[in-house]
Amino acid sequence: MARIKGSTLTNGARVAIIGGGPAGSFFSIFASKLARDIGRAIDFTIYEKKTFTNHGASGCNMCAGVVSESLVQTLAIEGVNLPSSVVRWGIESYFFHTQNGSVQIKSSRLQQRGIATIFRGGGPAGSSEQGVQSFDEFLLQKAVEQGAYVKHAFVDEVRLEGDKPILFSGGKILQDCDLLVGAFGVKAGTGRMYEKLGIGYKIPSTIKATQSEIELGSDWIASRFGHSIHIFLLHIPGIKFVSIIPKGDYITISMLGKKTDVEHIKTFLSHPVMKKMLPSGFKIPERFCHCFPKIIVGAARKPFANKLAFVGDASSVRLYKDGIGSAYITSKAAAYTALLHGVGEEDFRKHYLPVCKTLNRDNLFGQFLFSVNALISIVSPVNRSYFKLIQWEQKNLQKDTPNSDILWDMLTGSRFYKDIFFRTLNPWPTIYVLGAMVISSFRKVFFPHMRK
Amino acid sequence: MSEESLLGRLYKDGEIIVEEGIQSRSMYVIQSGKAKVVKSDEDGETILALLGEGDIFGEMSLFDAIPRSATVKAAGNTRVLAIEHEGLLKRIKMDPTLAFRIIRQMSQRIRDLNTRLIFAQETINHANNKLLQLNKTENVCIKDRETKLSHIVTQLQEKLHKLTEQFIQGDETLQ
Ligand SMILES: Cc1cc2nc3c(=O)[nH]c(=O)nc-3n(C[C@H](O)[C@H](O)[C@H](O)COP(=O)(O)OP(=O)(O)OC[C@H]3O[C@@H](n4cnc5c(N)ncnc54)[C@H](O)[C@@H]3O)c2cc1C
Repeated sequence: MARIKGSTLTNGARVAIIGGGPAGSFFSIFASKLARDIGRAIDFTIYEKKTFTNHGASGCNMCAGVVSESLVQTLAIEGVNLPSSVVRWGIESYFFHTQNGSVQIKSSRLQQRGIATIFRGGGPAGSSEQGVQSFDEFLLQKAVEQGAYVKHAFVDEVRLEGDKPILFSGGKILQDCDLLVGAFGVKAGTGRMYEKLGIGYKIPSTIKATQSEIELGSDWIASRFGHSIHIFLLHIPGIKFVSIIPKGDYITISMLGKKTDVEHIKTFLSHPVMKKMLPSGFKIPERFCHCFPKIIVGAARKPFANKLAFVGDASSVRLYKDGIGSAYITSKAAAYTALLHGVGEEDFRKHYLPVCKTLNRDNLFGQFLFSVNALISIVSPVNRSYFKLIQWEQKNLQKDTPNSDILWDMLTGSRFYKDIFFRTLNPWPTIYVLGAMVISSFRKVFFPHMRK
Repeated sequence: MSEESLLGRLYKDGEIIVEEGIQSRSMYVIQSGKAKVVKSDEDGETILALLGEGDIFGEMSLFDAIPRSATVKAAGNTRVLAIEHEGLLKRIKMDPTLAFRIIRQMSQRIRDLNTRLIFAQETINHANNKLLQLNKTENVCIKDRETKLSHIVTQLQEKLHKLTEQFIQGDETLQ
């Protein structure tokens, strides 16, 4: 295929980025830095409609707000240390709560608070907590430090004139550009605009999640939730999975299920297992910050075209994990492609698409692993045996703990799913779990009156 | 600053983060505070470098599995984030540019070392010349002055050590 001419970013080139969430900021940070390193003066302008310092939905990009272990480490290596004004809570372990009890899972590799919880915006609606810095604002400021401009505007139209993208807002021209980066996520309807351009782009498929912020006070949270993220698999009708993320004075409740709504949050908060985690006499507030954001379960089709690249949620994302970390991966890859290779369609196909494909392929392994996990949680004898195996390993962290490590990596997203998948092929845990199942069935048949 | 919102692990003043001679393969990034890189011998401890927020150390263990070449201690309360070796190598395999900053820092250290080496070489040459001159012109026997010279050197070393300690403490009170 012929390479489209004039597809490199030379001195004086203009790059427009739609969206100042993590993907837009990461792209701008890496592209500006690289442009400087290779001695090119390029103009980077980020268009963002939200003000991240606002409390509640108007300042928030609505997510559970967990910055994964691998992203915390990667950012530190890149020279971006998350300050304590951004980090709401340092996390060192996970807790699993099931009908069969609870188990804490720690990393056998590093004993430290290596996971950060953050607020994407200025904090929950109605919160009066002082000194909270929005994660998205922090990253946006890092992009500004690297030389990017930020304009608060909603881009409501994009046209291609010849091969030049032109951006509009409210009928007025914002600018034309030599490269347009779509970092608009999936939560607004911006992606549809691109589908209409006829470039072959299609936004990824999504499902709805439910999120809420409940104020409990940091002392209570420290004593009851510790420095752990709590996962609940309680078989409440309509709810598949709940995680509780401590954040200063608040806990974020993030829920996946079938058409979950505020009533599901209330049902969960009233469940006996959860009640034990709440202060005595706790009453569900009449009004609390909540939202129903879309979570990605598929990949975008053709996340690039001539002078166009899509990054972050608008492109490829790791399944259920580390969305912000995926935004880092795709944005950096797109930035390096644009500056080191060019902004033509073929440049992106050759140098950017493989990165997206790696994430997409890895998600196939992820899908398989999540299905197996779901199966384990449904079939109670397997669940019980697996649970015991993990409990035993956690008590013996100095020994080999392959199953806990697998669970840790699944929960934290610290390793690619493919890597985890191949580790699950170890036959011993399966033999153990199946053995325990056989013993359990044997007991039920021959000693039905015997309690465990 | 809330203790709950800090990442990594806290090391108290003087606590050892990595120890010379011990083999381990983690790399570290300072989140807050300072750390000093020291080398010990029978004459005591020599400070090789002072590290601050954002600095990376222990990066040599990425490339070889030999024991640590120096000790790193917290200078005041220091928060350090450990980077797990295997995970990092996997990430670098996927995105080799992730190693850029590590390489940049290593190359900066080589530059610093070169400057120090040249400086040390010049000082030795200078001292040699001076001693030769003394020997020739005034016929002074260096052997006679050996004890005095060694006393001066020890005094200088102690002064330098004190200055470094003061610098560390002064920097801390500035924060
Ligand atoms: C329920 C839920 C929980 C999640 N939990 C986590 C988690 O714990 N950890 C994690 O790493 N990831 C999590 N994610 C995923 C994470 O939210 C996303 O992967 C991440 O936000 C992607 O970043 P982005 O910059 O691509 O998109 P976004 O964060 O959505 O940012 C897009 C930005 O573009 C702006 N924008 C959109 N259209 C326009 C326009 N036309 N003009 C101007 N501005 C525009 C928006 O205002 C927004 O600021 C979660 C997602 C959901 C739904």
